Amino acid sequence: MKSTKYTEKVLDHFRNPRNVGTLEGDDVAVGKVGNPTCGDIMEVFIKIDGDKIVDAKFRTFGCGSAIATTSMTTEMVKGMTLDEAMELTRQDVADELDGLPPIKMHCSNLAADALHEAIKSYRKGRGEEVSDESELVKEEVECLIGKDEFLDKGVSLSVENLDDFIDQRVLVLYSGDESVDTAINLTEVTERVILLTPDDTLVINPELAERLANSSVKVLYQSRLLEVRGEFEVEKVLIKNLDEDEEYELFVDQVVIIE
Amino acid sequence: MKEIYLDNQSAKPVDSRVIEEMMPYFAEKYGNPSALHTTGDIATEALEESRKSIANFINADEDEIIFTSGATEAINIGIIGYALKNKRKGNHIIISEVEHISIHNIAKYLSREGFEISKAPVDIYGRVDMRKLERRITDKTILISVGYASNEIGTIQPIREIGKLAEEKGIAFHSDAVAAEGLVPIDVKRDGIHLMALSSNDLYGPKGVGVLYMRKKYRVNPIMIGGGQELGIRSGSEDVPGIVGMKAAAEIMQKEMPGEVKRFTGYRDRMIKQILEEIPDSYLNGHPTERLASNTHVRFDGIEGESILLSFKDKGIAISTGSACTSKTLEPSHTLIATGLLHEEAHGSLQITTGRFNTSQDIDSVLKVVPEIVTRLRNLSPIYKAKKV
Repeated sequence: MKSTKYTEKVLDHFRNPRNVGTLEGDDVAVGKVGNPTCGDIMEVFIKIDGDKIVDAKFRTFGCGSAIATTSMTTEMVKGMTLDEAMELTRQDVADELDGLPPIKMHCSNLAADALHEAIKSYRKGRGEEVSDESELVKEEVECLIGKDEFLDKGVSLSVENLDDFIDQRVLVLYSGDESVDTAINLTEVTERVILLTPDDTLVINPELAERLANSSVKVLYQSRLLEVRGEFEVEKVLIKNLDEDEEYELFVDQVVIIE
Repeated sequence: MKEIYLDNQSAKPVDSRVIEEMMPYFAEKYGNPSALHTTGDIATEALEESRKSIANFINADEDEIIFTSGATEAINIGIIGYALKNKRKGNHIIISEVEHISIHNIAKYLSREGFEISKAPVDIYGRVDMRKLERRITDKTILISVGYASNEIGTIQPIREIGKLAEEKGIAFHSDAVAAEGLVPIDVKRDGIHLMALSSNDLYGPKGVGVLYMRKKYRVNPIMIGGGQELGIRSGSEDVPGIVGMKAAAEIMQKEMPGEVKRFTGYRDRMIKQILEEIPDSYLNGHPTERLASNTHVRFDGIEGESILLSFKDKGIAISTGSACTSKTLEPSHTLIATGLLHEEAHGSLQITTGRFNTSQDIDSVLKVVPEIVTRLRNLSPIYKAKKV
């Protein structure tokens, strides 16, 4: 089956998704799965009364089947007890949509997983015992391979002359206000500036935060630079997404490390 | 209602004038060019006329044109055939990071066969960095392969500079010209190209026909063994109707290209300008000026390409995307990644390629639906947050 050969039901849920949006309140739980690298992120919100799911909403970034499966999942769970909802599988959702192309079964049919995450987080919030194997403490590695090797061959410890960075893809490591200021200044000469931080927020002064928000700097949160790579000079970097525990390569021309 | 077709990079309709020229070669002039009787002579004449015409189209000599079953075959013979013929001279081959997927896969195959492959990086616009390319050359380098223009983002490579470098270093230069043919005037002598692949369909000729340009003294080994047709490089009786079709397509193209390029450039620049102005957090992929006239390639923060494609399909418009979800491997486009995009950015791309039969109204239809499609998908998306202005 071609990736775009979807059943009528899938197409209907893609065109007219049910229950788009978010829910709030003490009786609401949210589950999030997927990651942007695979091209899918799904959030499922459930509202719970006693042990019954009384409402469900979702938001999805992803392909046609990703949107359709999350939509269908929210339709299916309304009225279910939490135990029943925990039993709902990816296959159930796919069946209800009259099937999915085989290649899509894995990548985009994660809605049931998001639902289970939501239920677990609700139960945990109420002090119930929940089996959770995903909460391993991750060790942080503090070394950067290639920094010395590529020093002045694409790795710099300061930005002296903006002209050296014209149309360059620049990665700036966050190390406080000065690094953010440098990143913003670089956008005068190049459209591609990425600011990398291991944290999920930046601790900077409000005026700088606003300048950053209005700039074209792309901030990558929860990300660590593991390695600088290239033949003779910087050509790419290996980045670890700490949230997803995943490593990927990114093509860049310059790495700025202000210590 | 007929679908508005704006995916001319993936396939083009055959021009009716081409079909007309092909027709006699199916049932009337059906001879085998290798045969010596009159029926064979008629086919030989058509074949050699076609060869002359294609040679003229790229400023080559007639005996440098090898007809194949398409561009993929031409690329296979050009790269693998040259590597096998020259393996005593060296085993190192350089390709660019933004080559067509077929060339990446050929490189993978050759590296399993004992060849060393280096990949030359590109800049933010997808253009090969000459300095980085040159630094990869060793005394074992026998071949450089850089496509004339990207089939995805439409960026045109500094072909003459690469040709000059290859000439100076005594290395063969192969270029896949499929995306560029019919949109950029190709001159193999001026450009310094030694081996080059062309396809017929990209000139509005029939599918299943292609050409390997093979410069004298840059001979390759055949990779298919048979009766010795096409200088022994590509055995098998020639597909005369298809070849006549490619010739007709090239002749029409030669006349109509300047006008077409001008028309497509107008379409392209109008689309890019209006989309980038109307849609917040949208960006152009590829080079702003050194790009194919037919190619518009933009990306939108926070949405995914297959959803964009399906939404266009629902509106009766055929477009393409750099998204993983439409590919066989589910990997995002290697070309977009090579320009420095993150995976999630590469996923949100829209590729529009115009062709001979598009009209200004087709462009209007696209521009009308882009804002509502992007807005709808962004409203669904958990990762799209509009920037404060």
